[in-house]
Amino acid sequence: MEQQRELGSFSLPPSLRAKLVAAGFQTAQEVLDVGPCELSKEIGISKQEALEILQVIKGDSHGNERGSGNTVRKYTALELLEEEQVQGFIVTFCSALDDILGGGVPLMKVTEICGAPGVGKTQLCMQLAVDVQFPECFGGLAGEAVFIDTEGSFMVDRVVDMASACVQHCHLIAEMHPEEGHQAALETFSLENILSHIYYFRCHDYVELLAQVYLLSDFLSEHAKVRLVVIDGVAFPFRHDFEDLSLRTRLLNGLAQQLITIANDHTLAVVLTNQMTTRIGQNCSSLVPALGDSWGHAATIRVILHWENKQRLATLYKSPSQKESTVPYCVTPHGFRDVQLPSPALAENKTNPRKRPRVEEQ
Amino acid sequence: MILRVGLCIGLTTEMVQLLKDNGIRTVLDLVSSDLETIARKCSLSYKALVAIRRVLLAQFSSFPVNGADLYEELKSSTAILSTGSKSLDKLLDAGLYTGEVTELTGAPGSGKTQVCLHIAANISESLKQRVLYIDSTGGFTATRLLQLLQRRTENEEEQVEALQRIQVVRVFDAYKVLDVLHEFRSTVAQEVVSASAPVKMVVVDSVSAVIYPLLGSRQPDGMAFMMHVARELKTLAKELGVAVVVTNHVTRDASCGQVKPALGRSWSFVPSTRVLLENNKESCGETSNRRIASLTKSPRQPVGIQVELDFESWEPAEDAC
Amino acid sequence: MVDGLGKAESGAQLLARLEGRSSLKSLEPSLFAEDGYPIHGDIVEFHGPEGTGKTEMLYHLIVRCILPKAGGGLEVGLLFIDTDSHFDMLRLVTVLEHRLSQSSEELIKQCLGRFFLVTCSSSAQLLLTLHSLENMFCSHPSLCLLIIDSMSAFYWIDRANGGENLSLQEANLRRCAQCLGKLVREYHLALFATTQTIMQKSSNSAESSGKHPGEAHVDYRPYLCKSWQQLITHRVFFSKQCHPGSAKGFSITSCHIHNNSVVKRPFSISECGVQF
Repeated sequence: MEQQRELGSFSLPPSLRAKLVAAGFQTAQEVLDVGPCELSKEIGISKQEALEILQVIKGDSHGNERGSGNTVRKYTALELLEEEQVQGFIVTFCSALDDILGGGVPLMKVTEICGAPGVGKTQLCMQLAVDVQFPECFGGLAGEAVFIDTEGSFMVDRVVDMASACVQHCHLIAEMHPEEGHQAALETFSLENILSHIYYFRCHDYVELLAQVYLLSDFLSEHAKVRLVVIDGVAFPFRHDFEDLSLRTRLLNGLAQQLITIANDHTLAVVLTNQMTTRIGQNCSSLVPALGDSWGHAATIRVILHWENKQRLATLYKSPSQKESTVPYCVTPHGFRDVQLPSPALAENKTNPRKRPRVEEQ
Repeated sequence: MILRVGLCIGLTTEMVQLLKDNGIRTVLDLVSSDLETIARKCSLSYKALVAIRRVLLAQFSSFPVNGADLYEELKSSTAILSTGSKSLDKLLDAGLYTGEVTELTGAPGSGKTQVCLHIAANISESLKQRVLYIDSTGGFTATRLLQLLQRRTENEEEQVEALQRIQVVRVFDAYKVLDVLHEFRSTVAQEVVSASAPVKMVVVDSVSAVIYPLLGSRQPDGMAFMMHVARELKTLAKELGVAVVVTNHVTRDASCGQVKPALGRSWSFVPSTRVLLENNKESCGETSNRRIASLTKSPRQPVGIQVELDFESWEPAEDAC
Repeated sequence: MVDGLGKAESGAQLLARLEGRSSLKSLEPSLFAEDGYPIHGDIVEFHGPEGTGKTEMLYHLIVRCILPKAGGGLEVGLLFIDTDSHFDMLRLVTVLEHRLSQSSEELIKQCLGRFFLVTCSSSAQLLLTLHSLENMFCSHPSLCLLIIDSMSAFYWIDRANGGENLSLQEANLRRCAQCLGKLVREYHLALFATTQTIMQKSSNSAESSGKHPGEAHVDYRPYLCKSWQQLITHRVFFSKQCHPGSAKGFSITSCHIHNNSVVKRPFSISECGVQF
């Protein structure tokens, strides 16, 4: 049954597939029935190519995929629920935003932050790059961050401010609860450590960006503690040099699939930033995220940051699990914060970011 | 299919070689040729060739089925799976039909994944049927599914059972999606007596996310691969009697700005039923839990009918249009 | 079994082959530009985008064939080749029920008994199946009509499989067309086949426009192999009516290929099927 699968449905190089079909091969079984030697003779290809063909077909159609990494695992929804519940979130330090996100920025998903210049997208990304390193005993992930910068807007000074505030904040908690042994964790949670665990990459155009993302998988295998990949921002490199819009769409969609693959394979959160653009509608024009409708599907979660009467607002626009809603936030010298909430009050919220996401009220 | 010894009774090594020398290499070559000419050219027995041709045809062609028999079979095997939403059921003429591919399409945030999760929850919890959920965008969230189940039943055991009836596969490229579909079809076919209840619904959310990266170049390969996926989905629906639900992006018509399902004309023939989901309000700042679902293709219902969906209650409000 | 080459044909079978097929003139005259069609040997192409009523028209034709003479039908058999896994038996039965004066399960099954369905999943399988059908048409003289939905089903897959080589891309379909031509000719059948509009009309449409009247203003670009194009005796373009408010939502433009006569007719689709 399985071997009746048509050759066209395998990921074979077009030229080799055409040779196979021209020789009369039609299904996987027919190719499997002849060995590599006969196959290379019969269709006039090298033995190496014949072996490659057989590998592709066997990898997919036989039970011998064990260990080859090709195995696709099936989970029950129950197993995934358990997985989600122990995974934790990256908190934003704005508890209102964490709440509407269900606890923070989730792992294994792609989250897109959209907004006009200056509204705080990069601030939020830098904040997350610090927050992901929060020690486990404080309810954090003790992870590391990859920061891919396409616009050159990453500011070390700001990260230093945020990280210092964060370290100080932890020291305060540790002093209040001396019995819980936070002190040990704090020895490694220092400004220097935080900075050295943000891996910064600068990409100048879309080719560099695509290449970087392509290479990221290897980097992440070597740096297994990375729990956050930031791309700030995704629209800039794709704004110019595209006469062929369908090529842009194809590249962007490919990028989206690669990012979710990375998020899934390495159990990390991908956070992208995107700009806003004006769409002229029939009745009125409105500000919408850039890169078009089909890119809108790329991120699982979309947050739009915007201004209203000098107040910064974050709107959860799309989420698979949370209700769409809007909350205020502000950007202080210490970083991304709740509005008018002094930091001790914030601490109350922050000590238990692992609590279960709240269920929507009816 | 290359002519080989052992392919069918009576086909000997010498025959294969003789035929090959005269340009007859495959089953298709042999079947399409004039056997008298070949018999003469290859000095083979005409009778033997006719016999071989007959066996090959019987072996590799598909057989006609009588309409009356087919109807009998379908009457017992076709099921209509309620989506759990009265208004969506109304739009779909009672629910999802097994044997068919239904497409949900809509702009980002229009609620495609939400509808998939709602339907999966209903089929698993109320109808006690199994679901295969192929997540190709990372949109599946078990926490959300649990929320939906908690609204339906307070019994935790039932919630757990419902969660166990939904199998999730996370694959993010088209080749793997096809592998999963293929493997699913062949394992079900091999199960003589199925150990557990059969899967009644297969969800692919989203089909365009994995196919888009393959399209757009002048090469027909991407289109061909899309058609392989289409073919597998339809075959699966018909052969295994499952309801297939896929989600698709939308694109904007360059001339009039109207939204239309993505993936183009060739794909438009694939789903039997297409539903377009839209936000109630056009502006991006406004959000609500209500969506408009319009039928844009159906084998049964007039296209253009619309209903309102409420993601909060799922059971529709009474003023649904 | 007959060997399919006409070698061992009995007198009775010969008679069945040549004389036994009923006239199809009253099948659906509205589909044709002139009266008196289809005749045996006609090959009619239904062409149009998604949602323009091609499939519904096929159900209409099927029902016209399988309804008993007493009920206004032709009471002939037909064979339907489904290459797209698209055939919807339940829909066919719905249309049939609406056309029967008193519908009983018994009567429905009697009608459906005149209908045969074959499913093909690749162009190679289609070719083999077409060859194997010779026997079927020989032994069932009541079969008058062959329907293929659709001829374009394998277009992309065949194109990719053929690589750079056009003749290889079209090889299977070319052989299918040859086989179809022979079947229709030798067994005095009429063939209705759909082709889907999957290509944009090319911007320099000089190649297609003007050649046949009626094509110029339709979204039409032939893309299947020449051997198929040359077989066609009638081409029917399907489109959705753009005028809002008109009772009939669909229309056909029917072209007789050999004498260039053209006619355009509106039709509607309701629960009980196609109505002109």
